Amino acid sequence: MKAAAFAYERPSDLKAALALMAGARGSTRIIAGGQSLGPMLNLRLVRPELLVDIAGLAELKQVDRGGDELVIGACVTHADIEDGRIPDVTRGAMRRVAASIAYRAVRNRGTIGGSLSHADPAADWVCALPALGAKIRLRSTRGLRELAIEDFITGALESALQEAEIVEAVRVPVMRPAARWGYVKACRKPGEFAHAIAAVLIDPESTGARVVVGAIAAPPIVLHDAAPLFGGRVTADFHRQFDARIADAMLAKAGVTNAADRHIHVAVLRRAIAEAAA
Amino acid sequence: MSEVERLSSSSTPDQGVGARLPRKEDDRFMRGRGQYVADIRLPGLRDVAFVRSPLAHGRIKAIHVPERYSGLVFTAADLFGVKPIRAVSGLPGFKISEQPVLATGKVRHVGELVAMCAAPTRAEAEDIAASVTLDLEPLPAVYDMRRAREAGSALVHDHWGDNVFLESVFEVDITPALDAPIKVTREISTARQCMSPLEGRGVVATFDHRLDQLTLYTGAQMPHIVRNGLSDCLGIEQGRIRIISPDIGGGFGHKGILLPEEVCLSWLALEKGLTVRWIEDRYEHLSASANCREHYYNITVYADRDGRLRGIDCEATVDSGAYSSYPFSACLEAAQVASILPGPYRMPAYRCRTFSAATNKCPILPYRGVARTGVCFALEIMLDAVAAEAGLEPAEVRLRNLVGPEEMPFDNITKKHFDSGNYPEAMRRALAAIDIAAVRERQRRKEPDGRLIGVGLSVYCEQAAHGTSVYAGWGIPMVPGHEQATARMTPDGGLEIRVGVHSHGQGLETTLAQVAHEILGIDTAKVRVVHGDTALTPYSTGTWGSRSMVMAGGAVGTACEAIAGRAKHIGAKLLQLDPASVSLRDGRVCGPNSSIGLAEIAHTWYRRPHELPPDVNPGGLEATSGYKPQRDSGTFSYAVHAVIVAVDPDLGDIELLDYVIVEDGGVLVNPMIVDGQIYGGLAQGIGTALYEEMPFDAEGQPLATTLADYLLPGPTEIPEPRLDHMQTASPYTMFGVKGIGEGGAIAPPAAITNAVNDALRPLGVELLRSPISARRIVEAILAAREAEGPAA
Amino acid sequence: MNTIGISVNGHAVTASVEPRTHLADFLRDHLNLTGTHLGCEHGVCGSCTLLLDDAPARSCITLAAACDRARVTTIEGLDDDEIAGELRAAFTREHALQCGYCTPGMIVSARDLVLRLDDADERAIRVGLSGNLCRCTGYVGIVRAVRSVIDDRRRRGIAPLPGAAREQLGPVGSTSSAGDGGPPAARPSARAGIEQRPAVTIPDFVPDRILEDHFTLASRPEEVFAMLGDVARVAACLPGVALTGNPTPKHVEGVIRVRLGPISTGFRGAARIERDPATMSGRIVGMGTDHHIRSSTRGEVRYRLLPVDAGTATRVEISVGYSMQGMLAQIAREGLVRGLAARLTAEFARNLERELSGAATGGPTRPAASIDGVALVFDRLRMFVREIFRRT
Repeated sequence: MKAAAFAYERPSDLKAALALMAGARGSTRIIAGGQSLGPMLNLRLVRPELLVDIAGLAELKQVDRGGDELVIGACVTHADIEDGRIPDVTRGAMRRVAASIAYRAVRNRGTIGGSLSHADPAADWVCALPALGAKIRLRSTRGLRELAIEDFITGALESALQEAEIVEAVRVPVMRPAARWGYVKACRKPGEFAHAIAAVLIDPESTGARVVVGAIAAPPIVLHDAAPLFGGRVTADFHRQFDARIADAMLAKAGVTNAADRHIHVAVLRRAIAEAAA
Repeated sequence: MSEVERLSSSSTPDQGVGARLPRKEDDRFMRGRGQYVADIRLPGLRDVAFVRSPLAHGRIKAIHVPERYSGLVFTAADLFGVKPIRAVSGLPGFKISEQPVLATGKVRHVGELVAMCAAPTRAEAEDIAASVTLDLEPLPAVYDMRRAREAGSALVHDHWGDNVFLESVFEVDITPALDAPIKVTREISTARQCMSPLEGRGVVATFDHRLDQLTLYTGAQMPHIVRNGLSDCLGIEQGRIRIISPDIGGGFGHKGILLPEEVCLSWLALEKGLTVRWIEDRYEHLSASANCREHYYNITVYADRDGRLRGIDCEATVDSGAYSSYPFSACLEAAQVASILPGPYRMPAYRCRTFSAATNKCPILPYRGVARTGVCFALEIMLDAVAAEAGLEPAEVRLRNLVGPEEMPFDNITKKHFDSGNYPEAMRRALAAIDIAAVRERQRRKEPDGRLIGVGLSVYCEQAAHGTSVYAGWGIPMVPGHEQATARMTPDGGLEIRVGVHSHGQGLETTLAQVAHEILGIDTAKVRVVHGDTALTPYSTGTWGSRSMVMAGGAVGTACEAIAGRAKHIGAKLLQLDPASVSLRDGRVCGPNSSIGLAEIAHTWYRRPHELPPDVNPGGLEATSGYKPQRDSGTFSYAVHAVIVAVDPDLGDIELLDYVIVEDGGVLVNPMIVDGQIYGGLAQGIGTALYEEMPFDAEGQPLATTLADYLLPGPTEIPEPRLDHMQTASPYTMFGVKGIGEGGAIAPPAAITNAVNDALRPLGVELLRSPISARRIVEAILAAREAEGPAA
Repeated sequence: MNTIGISVNGHAVTASVEPRTHLADFLRDHLNLTGTHLGCEHGVCGSCTLLLDDAPARSCITLAAACDRARVTTIEGLDDDEIAGELRAAFTREHALQCGYCTPGMIVSARDLVLRLDDADERAIRVGLSGNLCRCTGYVGIVRAVRSVIDDRRRRGIAPLPGAAREQLGPVGSTSSAGDGGPPAARPSARAGIEQRPAVTIPDFVPDRILEDHFTLASRPEEVFAMLGDVARVAACLPGVALTGNPTPKHVEGVIRVRLGPISTGFRGAARIERDPATMSGRIVGMGTDHHIRSSTRGEVRYRLLPVDAGTATRVEISVGYSMQGMLAQIAREGLVRGLAARLTAEFARNLERELSGAATGGPTRPAASIDGVALVFDRLRMFVREIFRRT
């Protein structure tokens, strides 16, 4: 199938893009790498009147290493992260997550900001970044605002992005040396929609455990303090304290009614915890 | 192992029968210069998009075309005089379906064609199609083949009174089996699949006024059969139709039926004078194109305590979809099930009843392996169930019942005539290669990572190149007769071969050249194989049923022999020798002390005819010959597949740790290409076993309509198997070759499922439905735990 | 039409393209470079893979208009490429192709692996090629061929290039300086008008999926039942529903707009209303169609009133059933739709409770912004545009 007709603009800078968005009438969509939107356009599931292409905007391809964080422009691609073309403050975690997204040819165009805007609950960044404690920076002519990733993803394919607002950057905090990271997803083959995703960042010395369970039919479950999963306290032997029953109950409460689904999610979570402990 | 029976000796074995010759066709494909239907450019070409039914079953109340597009949209009402597609089987009781090329009255499956729109680009044609609105009255969808057979079901074809295309029974008195000490009954089923060659279907149609001829470019495995069907539907004489089937991006059976789209575009070219194309996209392919493989078996196997089979009693239903597709019909699969279920196993009693059920789904067509993949799945799972019941190794049960080499040729209980082979030897080789004892030891030790190990076997046989006598009995619109080929030497000593079969990955441009080289000794680089054009090739039923090497190979060999005889006669006269005293070697006619090359003989025939002897055969260096094997009941290639799996009981993931195939495909013309066919077949078999499934909801909506949902195995899902070839020649065919194109796809679902069941037996799990997806495995394990009670 | 300047296989090309034309169609139809194949047009199969700024990219989900100033290399442009030449020799030797359809994309991806991978690790090659499907070969010959070329080159001392030596950030093909998109001239409306159809009879149906909810009101069942007879009020509680025409007590027409992520639907249709005072129950059965996404839906709302607290209060039980047909049913992941329906049902119950308990703010309940994460945008603006279009 071929896309329905639309108009197309390629603004020269961010300011022009924001102005274009603010002045647009009718249905307007932003496109960057187009790796999520492209298939939907071709299937005519999405029929915008105007596409605003921000892939060329230099402001969105910048990366700044601040004191305790890395600010990644929205149009940085998965391949940029995978290849280490940008600094890594997550001790390899983001590079590994990036490398597991879809396929290389897709990663060469797909962007971190685009992936978050699409808000697919089975997407890697949607699940990994909340565990890393990342924030998202949104820009419009009205100004700038910033949200935690988990507050940005509001539903399956739904985000807090407002009219004429653009994802500008993602802020990723530096991972502490003592922190342990685990990221596991269940797919039958590379590139398939994940059936379950678990991301864990465990730092027994300070911040405790942050756990994300994703690829459910809703925003990921984000536990800022996952101590209850480990018997109430995150200790050095946390992986031995993991209580699958609590995880199962948590999933049931989150609306995962099917027992096989819960079983798979819990198994994936257990593995992510084991990976963190390894 | 038997030797190749050389019809003429060639001193360059690197090019003849048996050579691993690199393919002649590769270069154009690797440089992006293949020419597929979508690559054809004609002046004034317009794209066609179809308005398709969104409902599985509904009554058409109205079709609304916006006024601004009138004249660009055509519906059934426009197709005056075009007949529906009818594929009638001669088997008694067969109910006839008529498939309108554009829907009339009712729509009977999602994606059925309702209207067509032509525009300068596909995007614009889709714009028009999107503006057409259908007023459909929804009717209850017949989406489950077993419910379809129940009284009170909605009817796909109202006047039938039920939803059964055909019921058939094959019985050799089952009663003696009934008192067997072992009786195992199971319900086994396989999912509906979509063949998914990477290139979909495609059609370009134009009318050639000079020739007064419709030229239809279509990716078709059987171009001459398409011409038959088109002529029937359009009511025009065959001479006014030329079918050109260019490069094809994968067939597997999917390009073996007449499409309503082909009729529609032909009509636009004939009646509207348009040059038009339609290129099937992946969404159309998955949601609206023909499917395959959806079987359900209720099967009981009777055996003695030592595993000897006493009999099989089976009821099988095949979901045939809404229409009988042309030319193979809606009952090809189900009716075959009854005759091929026993396979290479001996048994004294047998009964099988089959149903071809009509449903509100796409029609079916024969996919690589046709009914055999389902049959092999059902029977081989049952043999493992018998082994478990008898406390025997699965291999033991098979060895006890497989036909022995001393019994060849062998007629099994359904009168299938096995031409040659040594099945027990193949089994023994497979067992040695996979090392069952080591697997059992490993199972006892258990895996450190918690996974469960299992080993599985399956045996299949593949009847190929079955001909007139077999197909005459089916009474379908196509019965293969003699296969013909034309061989023509060119004045410069090259050779052109014309065949009515079609090559779309099998490498016939290479292997048929190898056959010609074997006979004539002409360098394969100078042999050109022409195929895929009804104007240039002899009539043929085309490429299906693993028949091309046996049939067209035999025809090419026969035609080349005719040329060889004539060339020897001319050569002998030019050498001033007695024709009886010369032989043909390495492309030269040789006497005791002198020789002359075929190129010079060709030059003489074409350019210097005044030097020819007066008694020369006026047919010259061009011959069209027909060929049939000595017996046309088919060749039987076969294999044993043995696989070791590791199953992750938490996630249901399966890793194929080792895969062994011991295969006997008769004499191999090009072992490299045969290996490729087996590897490719295995990949599709693994798809059937683990990944591919077209699910439907209760509204008859297909639910895997993109490749994100319909999972095709990729490089990480397919292991590199270990192959071992036996080469038992067929006694009936030229060179002793057998058809081998489909076999690789037949055995894997059974072998892998048996291995998974072997691994999960300690958990009380037995999987009986393909694909055995990760999800089904997890659910089965959880269900087994539930059944065991809350103990653990 | 947008004008693009693009380098294709080393030649500068200036062309005018429709914005919706993807790169593969542009190359195939405008430049007759048919070696780039289309296998799915949703980015999965890899047949259309080509080099964009020297890195593999999917040309089926990349707009040609987005490639202004980019460098495109198709399979035809790799005729004289050293690595592609080595791959061709290895492919034919290892029988790495049969029908040839996946081969151009496969060679492009393989070439990238030959450049980037440290060594000929089989697993890395298989993962690296996982975005290119082959239906013929079982990948055996392909993997062998790629291994042999990598092995051979590393043996010859040719080192891998991490990231294929790309330095620029951002999507391949997107020039960092950005293009001038041309003057923002008046954009033609891309949309065709809606063909309005008269309502038809509503057939009965049994929903595939049913969701239930309930609440209690401090009114007598008879009063609640009477209120439920006001079609407009009930419709106003259904998220995203707008009535068209004048409802009668037994028949109503309208449109329901639901947004599933970037997919905006507008199901236009009609509903039949049944009420039974004897059992204090009622039913609304409707069907609607969205021609644009070729999908239709059928839905049923049932309610039943039960007296509580000796008849002074009413327990309202509602159930919402639905089924979908057409593309949306086929494409959307079941979980996403189920989640959406559950939220809509809960929202309906909440609205109804508010409406019937008299707590509603004046005017119809109209969830304008985000409801539990699902924005139900009532897109008046688009309606307005459509109205204008229809008049012209």
